[in-house]
Amino acid sequence: MDLGLAGEAALVTGGSRGIGAAVVVALARQGCDVAFTYHGRADAAEAVAVKVRALGRRAMAIKADVASFADAEKTVTTVVRDLGRLDILVCNAGITWDGVIWKMTEKQWDTVIETNLKGYFNYNRAVAGIFKDQRSGKIVNVSSINGLRGKFAQSNYSASKAGNIALTKALARELGKFNVNVNCVAPGMVMTEMAESIPPEFLNAAVKETVLGRIAAPEDVANVIAFLCSDASRHVTGEVVKVDGGQYI
Amino acid sequence: MARVGVIGIGHGQFGRRTDATVQELAFEAYREALRDAGITPDAIDASVIGSVPEYHKQRSLAGVVQEYLALNPKATWLTEVACASGSAAVRTAWMAIRSGLHDVVAVIGCQKMTELTTAEILALMGRVGEVQWESVFGTTFPGYYAMFARRHMHEFGTTREHLSLVAVKNHYYGARNDKALFRKEITVEKASASDPVASPFLVYDCCANADGAACLILASEERAKATSDRVVWLDGIGCASSSMSVLRRPDLTSLPSAVLASRQAYRMAGITAGDVKVAEVHDCFTIAEIMAYEDLGFCEKGQGGPFIAERQSYIGGATPVNVDGGLKAKGHPIGATGVSMAYEIVRQLRGECGERQVPGADVGLTHNVGGIGQYCFVNVYRRD
Amino acid sequence: MFQWFGKVSYCPHTKVSEFADHLKGGRIMASRCAECGFMSFPPRADCPKCLGGEFEFRELCGRGTVVTYTRIDAAPAGFEDVAPYTVGVVDLEETGRLLAWFGPSIPEDRIRIGMPIQVVPRLFEELEEIKVYYSLEQPGTVWGKEPETRPAGGAERGK
Repeated sequence: MDLGLAGEAALVTGGSRGIGAAVVVALARQGCDVAFTYHGRADAAEAVAVKVRALGRRAMAIKADVASFADAEKTVTTVVRDLGRLDILVCNAGITWDGVIWKMTEKQWDTVIETNLKGYFNYNRAVAGIFKDQRSGKIVNVSSINGLRGKFAQSNYSASKAGNIALTKALARELGKFNVNVNCVAPGMVMTEMAESIPPEFLNAAVKETVLGRIAAPEDVANVIAFLCSDASRHVTGEVVKVDGGQYI
Repeated sequence: MARVGVIGIGHGQFGRRTDATVQELAFEAYREALRDAGITPDAIDASVIGSVPEYHKQRSLAGVVQEYLALNPKATWLTEVACASGSAAVRTAWMAIRSGLHDVVAVIGCQKMTELTTAEILALMGRVGEVQWESVFGTTFPGYYAMFARRHMHEFGTTREHLSLVAVKNHYYGARNDKALFRKEITVEKASASDPVASPFLVYDCCANADGAACLILASEERAKATSDRVVWLDGIGCASSSMSVLRRPDLTSLPSAVLASRQAYRMAGITAGDVKVAEVHDCFTIAEIMAYEDLGFCEKGQGGPFIAERQSYIGGATPVNVDGGLKAKGHPIGATGVSMAYEIVRQLRGECGERQVPGADVGLTHNVGGIGQYCFVNVYRRD
Repeated sequence: MFQWFGKVSYCPHTKVSEFADHLKGGRIMASRCAECGFMSFPPRADCPKCLGGEFEFRELCGRGTVVTYTRIDAAPAGFEDVAPYTVGVVDLEETGRLLAWFGPSIPEDRIRIGMPIQVVPRLFEELEEIKVYYSLEQPGTVWGKEPETRPAGGAERGK
């Protein structure tokens, strides 16, 4: 399906693996030049960049700590300079560090919040002025169904993901009149490296509560994100789209 | 063709009249005019009320004025063309008499402006311009004339001092008019150092809101001659309009409506600008008087600044203008102003103005502008 | 949505209400009579020349020249918080005249009659509600325009 994105430029945070990598490739397949940040895995990042280039699009892999406000500003400036424009931001970089709250350390809480919530603020803020002034732009923030329902032993992660949703809704109100759409996707269980570390009994439990009876592939989420990055969804903003196979209805 | 004459005039005190309703103000002028004419109310066939309704809490003002003047069941109606509403009342009375419909008509210009709260005045201020494309940028009444002034300065070299000199003249004569709001002379220095309003205008470039009323009794030629031996005749009347929007005015240094209205009035009266011995012009802002000198033909276009600088609009100059203090010193109760101008001209032509009397005044003119020239009424009065 | 136009809207209903939609999208439009071609700014629905009632919008480049201006210190209701401000009347290069505020790119002491300016579409960015206007800026000032997107199926632009 052609979403009319040919020639646009996108920035994806956390693009070397998992959902982020699938989004990078999906957008490149739609004709976008794509820049993405990665944190540790230069080899994985390079593999994704190769895929983008194989599709005939430009790729930029940028090592960055999304929790750094200064890094975000610098990254966005570099991307606009090198790709010549910026039309799309997908905030995806996130981590988990689970534990029941009475055993959760301050560092455990702060680290997850700084990456998952402040990291989204950093990039949303860095592109907002650009999108505002150019009177166009799409922002998609990747949240989680656990930001809607809360999850056992994930008070930090659930809070950060709920924060992503509220950030999205507030920003949609601020940027709507500038023709900028801001939306959220809330995936359920997705088969990523993050999921691979989960004990099998938890995965089975997830499948059991998912009405479609399967765990999502990263591409299932990436396709919805690509749609939200396009003018096919131009009248959708401030929305949270669950991509969870009916895991949380 | 039969003439229309002024047989009686009356004028109330202008100012902040916290002692009176608008109909009470109207009565002051009406009583004085009837006594001046030496007639009783039963001689009046109809009344025309000139006033701007949005300043009054009482809707449909003519009704309450007519009742308070005890003129029911005589015909009455209201005329409204912003600051020229009083002259519109004079014009429709003239038409009613010339048509043969009425013989004696009371014209009452009245306005109560100080009942409004500051918030209400600020809200009204915001709607003086064309509201669709201009008021949305916070334009104000002084702002429009200030833009005329800026353009006039640019094209003709009119100066800040020229503006102040108009205010100085009008305060000079206002100090000698017991009906005026401001009765103090000012200096150029004082006028040029007042607070900014809309550049290049300062406080002393602007007239002040006021309460007040004025009244004329107009009569057919036959009735006028039968009633009075000092009739002042309304021999020329002119009226024209210009665009509401300043954006549709190619020339911002002139009011085209004033040029047209004056030419109509001169033609009807069979005079030229040079025949006018005394004039009342609409000096809502200092530049407005300078533009009026030019629009009315008292001086060449662009020479309004030198005209005041050479004191040509003082008594003794080429054409004395606003020797009652003008809107600037008398105050500007907007519905009353046009009738107040006529009151002054009639007194000048009758020779009743004492130290402000223009010697040999036999032809006088009123120039009453609505808004920023959307409407202009020019009337020529003559003493036989 | 003409109530979008202006810091204070006095005039919500007009036949040229789409002017405000275009302005929000970054475009300043004049009207052009569909019958005789008469152009007008400010736009008007009804032609004063041929009396025609059909018109179309034509985008203006927004270049113009200052005719006159004033700095307003005594502001009316709804404008107290932005006073003092300077408004100018501008002769537009293509057709008509326009009145607007001078924007931040032209400080008051540099304003002159006859100076060239660029009219730039603006939004009150820090108000939640949509309020659009235009300001007078330095020639060469650039600004963003919404792409002229239409939903799949080619329906008319939504009102």
